Amino acid sequence: MFKNGFIGLLLLLLLFGCADNGQQVNKPIRLPDVSQADLNGKLILSLGGEISLLNPILSTDSSSSAVEGTIFSGMTRINEQLEVVPDLAESWKVSKDGKIWTFYLRKDVQWHDGEPFTAADVVFTYNSILNPKVNSVRRSDYIIDDQPIRFLALDKYTVQAILPEPFAPFLARSGMSVIPQHLLAGKDINVADFNRNPVGTGPFIFKAWKTGDSIRVTRNPNYYLGAPKLAEIIFKVIPDANAQLIALEAGEIDESGIPPKDYSRMKAQEGINVFEYDSLGYTYLGFNLANPKFKDIRVRQALAYATNKEQLVKLIYKGLASPAYAPSAPVSWAYSDEVAKYQYDPEKAKVLLKEAGVDNLEFTILLNQGNKEREKAAIILQQQYAKVGVKVNLRVMEWSSMLKIVNAATDPKDFDAVLMGWSLGLDPDAYSIWHSSQYPKGFNFINYRSPKVDALLVKGRITMEKEDRKAIYAQLWQEIAADQPYIFLWYPKSIVGISERVGGLSNPGPAGLMLNLEKVFVTR
Amino acid sequence: MRKFILRRLFQLIPLLIGVSLLSFFVMHLAPGDPTALFTDPNINPADLARIRANWGLDKPVIVQYFYWLKNAAVGNFGNSYTTGQPVINEIMQRLPNTLLLMVASYFLTLIITIPLGVISAVKKGSVFDNTVTILSFAGMATPSFWLGLMLMLLFSVNLGWLPAVGMHDPLLRETGRLANALDVGKHMILPLLTMTLLSLAGITRYQRAAMLEVLNQDYIRTARAKGLSERVVIFKHALRNALIPTVTILGLSLPGLFGGAFIIETIFAWPGMGRLGVMAIFQRNYPLIMGIVVMSAVLIMLGNLLADICYALVDPRIRYRK
Repeated sequence: MFKNGFIGLLLLLLLFGCADNGQQVNKPIRLPDVSQADLNGKLILSLGGEISLLNPILSTDSSSSAVEGTIFSGMTRINEQLEVVPDLAESWKVSKDGKIWTFYLRKDVQWHDGEPFTAADVVFTYNSILNPKVNSVRRSDYIIDDQPIRFLALDKYTVQAILPEPFAPFLARSGMSVIPQHLLAGKDINVADFNRNPVGTGPFIFKAWKTGDSIRVTRNPNYYLGAPKLAEIIFKVIPDANAQLIALEAGEIDESGIPPKDYSRMKAQEGINVFEYDSLGYTYLGFNLANPKFKDIRVRQALAYATNKEQLVKLIYKGLASPAYAPSAPVSWAYSDEVAKYQYDPEKAKVLLKEAGVDNLEFTILLNQGNKEREKAAIILQQQYAKVGVKVNLRVMEWSSMLKIVNAATDPKDFDAVLMGWSLGLDPDAYSIWHSSQYPKGFNFINYRSPKVDALLVKGRITMEKEDRKAIYAQLWQEIAADQPYIFLWYPKSIVGISERVGGLSNPGPAGLMLNLEKVFVTR
Repeated sequence: MRKFILRRLFQLIPLLIGVSLLSFFVMHLAPGDPTALFTDPNINPADLARIRANWGLDKPVIVQYFYWLKNAAVGNFGNSYTTGQPVINEIMQRLPNTLLLMVASYFLTLIITIPLGVISAVKKGSVFDNTVTILSFAGMATPSFWLGLMLMLLFSVNLGWLPAVGMHDPLLRETGRLANALDVGKHMILPLLTMTLLSLAGITRYQRAAMLEVLNQDYIRTARAKGLSERVVIFKHALRNALIPTVTILGLSLPGLFGGAFIIETIFAWPGMGRLGVMAIFQRNYPLIMGIVVMSAVLIMLGNLLADICYALVDPRIRYRK
């Protein structure tokens, strides 16, 4: 009896394990109407990582940022098109020389504890970030040419930022969430109790935190853009991606990321809307240019020709990513695909290698353990390069150990090629990745140097007009792509499943689906 | 006995210094550092260097160690790098969750495995014995993450009987202790089931082997020859002796209860020590790693001490010098 029962259970489990029914029909997106909104509704979101602390100037992980996004707000924010738009600041202006930025703040904003929000809070926030004792990784964002930006409160509702040099990316950095002076002044911000008990100006008020389990935030009825429709948002920490998906299917959470392998199954699932959209970033194979193997541009070009990006995307993402050709992303306003593409052509690759006088090229790709997509890519690249007579070895390391090699302050660094990805900021400025001053200390760890690119990077930073900057970056991408210091592999997509009871979503895009959080609702 | 316990407790101090010294250096031998995690083109390496210096990581490791030891000696284990919270708080927030799950699984395993082992040994070669043997090996060979996910699919998605993840239902309407305890209990079933199914194997096998050995002893034959009933022979004469090796295994696995089960905690989103520890290591969160190491060392030593005391209870041949 016991035996049969148990074996039966095991068999049942096996069956569930293999429940892939092959062909499935895609279900259209079904969004509820706002008239069905439940004003007592609670939305349950999932987080893949633990929340470290809830202080936007200190936290560095995406889970903490997701929660902070509901509690705090900044002078500016972004819209669906990733443009910088007013938030706590109603408007702003820039002086002709690009050095003086004046922000005019809203006068109707209160902190969650009832205190009025003023310019002093904004100045306090930026000065705290600039304080070297505060462990904020954002400090350098507000330092230009070794000089800090000065922040002044001209009156109760006017903030002025005085830049030592004109610096266009500053606008995208003015969205830093503001923290309250009246609760943090004179305290050691690194270890303040505030970080577990935050008070902000955003649409939701912090309510409770069960460490490692969940965080609750409740509606801020006084939110300056109107009271949110949701009564509460609960963030549940679910570290395992498969478990997260199961929890979505079981109706325990309303949203989950979806791995490409589960895409078609989830697309057919009743009760769940699946959205896919481009994310702001790219994956690449970067060559250590300090290594003699890759000095000759023809070698890099040959490898670019030998790379079948379509195949990579098809095999790894089932088409849910697109081949990359430039160090930008199609969703960025500064994107341009007018670059040398080096479309797959193994014959050309062989010719170029011969011209360069290289035979029996052998090199090692360094990559981090645990990233399934990159692990697959490395194996596929190994085979693609073998077709043109290039032998590739793989060196898979734990993330921290790998970064130790890549970020070592030595010249040359101890790697041949590295398989990594960048997630990009809102501003196209790519100085930290490509400028020759960013080697060996900095993120130009492949030692790329091109005076032309250096000049364009600087020009992009000091030019204020968006259209002019667009042209500068188009040229920059062209220069870099021609040199192929990286082989750009793919632009990843985000795939998100959201319960059909959730409405008020923004258009799918890298800014996320819940950009206007106050409008999001769940049905009765 | 009291003197023995006191002496053992006193031995803890030099041992702890040794353990902490060794782990401190081994930890710093691992490449990478707590700030290396953020490789993001938008974070300037200069910021990382400054933060490292704020944490005192620019000093020689030996200096850092003595600094740590000085604070640890007065019970200050520092603050976690990621949360800024005192390490003790971090551990104490997780420890009860882990203990709840692990201790429940420990006793459940105990209650099931000892009888299973005994019956298997007594009915050696029977259908029952073979079934238990097959299931034991199947349990040993099954990866916990797989079993966990399958149970979740079955009981949460398909049948909808039990919650899949977490410790609490965020939408729970009723308040009060009882409702809360029932809620946690419901959330515990699947992780508990997974852990217990997988750990049945080990102890059942040990118990069976020990029992078989004892059953072949002369005194068992004597007991039977005296005409004692089979129940008395097995439970009074054989089992007491066959429990000794099991007590060793159980004693050795006691400290593991505090370490938690990383995979189970990850799959079932259970906020316990296993996740905390593994995350601390990945993040090179030095103060937290040291806090956990020291705590584990103390618990392992106490666990061993407890096992030694239990020996004296179950085995009359063992007596500790007065």
